[in-house]
Amino acid sequence: MDNLRENEYDRDVVISTCIHLTRNLNGIPFPARMSRGDRLTVVQRAKEAVEENKALAHILRYIDMEGLSKTEAVSLVERHLVSADFISDCSGRGVFITDDESLSIMVNEEDHIHIQAYLWGLNLENAYQKADILDDLFNRSLHFAFHKDLGYLTQNPILLGTGMRASLILHLPALHESGGITRLSSNLSKLGLSLSGVYGAGEAPKGAVYQLSNQVTFGLSEQEAIANLKSIAMQLVHQERGLWEELVEQPELQDAVSRSLALLQSAKMMGYEEFLQLASNVRFGISTGLIEGVNSDQLNRLMIAMQPATLTLRSGRKLTQNERRILRADQIREMLKK
Amino acid sequence: MLCESCGKNPVVTHVKRIINGKLTEYLLCAECAQRLGYGNLLTELGGNYGSLLGEFFGEFERTDLVRCECCGASFNDIVRSGKVGCAECYRTFYDRLIPLIQRVHGNTKHRGKMPGGSMIKTPPQEQLSLMRRELREAIRTENFEQAANLRDRIKELEGGERRG
Repeated sequence: MDNLRENEYDRDVVISTCIHLTRNLNGIPFPARMSRGDRLTVVQRAKEAVEENKALAHILRYIDMEGLSKTEAVSLVERHLVSADFISDCSGRGVFITDDESLSIMVNEEDHIHIQAYLWGLNLENAYQKADILDDLFNRSLHFAFHKDLGYLTQNPILLGTGMRASLILHLPALHESGGITRLSSNLSKLGLSLSGVYGAGEAPKGAVYQLSNQVTFGLSEQEAIANLKSIAMQLVHQERGLWEELVEQPELQDAVSRSLALLQSAKMMGYEEFLQLASNVRFGISTGLIEGVNSDQLNRLMIAMQPATLTLRSGRKLTQNERRILRADQIREMLKK
Repeated sequence: MLCESCGKNPVVTHVKRIINGKLTEYLLCAECAQRLGYGNLLTELGGNYGSLLGEFFGEFERTDLVRCECCGASFNDIVRSGKVGCAECYRTFYDRLIPLIQRVHGNTKHRGKMPGGSMIKTPPQEQLSLMRRELREAIRTENFEQAANLRDRIKELEGGERRG
């Protein structure tokens, strides 16, 4: 995902952008009612759609989910290429990805075709444009199911209309610490948006990393949904930054930020959850100018690469938990060395 | 089954996540799903399709004669699973699905993209470059009919862009 770094604005709070488009084929049951034969038919038709279109064939590589080890499958989730739901049952499923891992197309997830465009920073329009082009190119061969009043037809009627989910990954350390997320989350749901933890689904997600997504897909266009999401995200960014001024003056906080960086730069063993917490403190330090010489791009890369399955996969061998912690600490030190 | 978060209310949603390298499933009630940001338009209404439709019809319809010709689903199957069987089901059960869709989404119609529509409206540079690549490929493989087609469409898009 070393793509597009053009949009630097608001990179302190907005880590990344993802656009999802869900589409289905006519004449084939939706995934919950599909036979294995149906699944293979959709995979085959998606492959043909790619082969028929040289522009697609040039950029997309197909991965058969059935042929993957558990580590390989989990790593795809960690790299934001497929959903956790997708790997809970790999039979008759596959995914197309681009080499830079910014685009992926899941076949037979909750719907037949699920297009994702993932970009760093606040990049909603660019990400939508990329997903939109893929959608058009696939549609030439697959002729997606559509109804003039209902829009794109989806397995779950909740996604009717545009079938589009847009989401932003946000780092909200101050709102997280203030305990204000639950209240925000319930207010946002009244506006048709959701705010949930990325690392951990419970009460206290790790690393103060949250995902803000639109819930409404019907009765408004993609552009309107994106504009709504952006405007709410800007308000969150504003609230988050508003809390920083006061926090940054506190000696305890300055101490925590410096200690976190020192630990990342010198520890010999590191668990992923510990890394997330330390990285969150360091990211806050970078955003508020307490830390210089380390940038948030480095942390973004580490947040993906240091996850257990991805770390193991890239090492090319099996690792025990301790070996993984040692390797993780080595790579973090290397990336953040003084 | 009771919600894993509050331990009080019945589970309406399953959230799957990868936590520390492991696939983990959280079973949440409507209230907790909402509170933790995993709600959707349905949990906002306090339940799932089964309970929502229950409100409409009192109970499941006894007769289940109509089945979708494409996937074999009956309307009861859709109610029970909260999932529509296939694209054709939306036509087969249109009149029965509409009240539910309106309840969830409001009385409105689709606005936004139509299949293949956006390409013609806003030709982005990237799409042009994709099409030029396709054109080169078509010429290389001597697929002249496709090439001519592509050439015309590229011209059309470029023209539109200059005017814009």
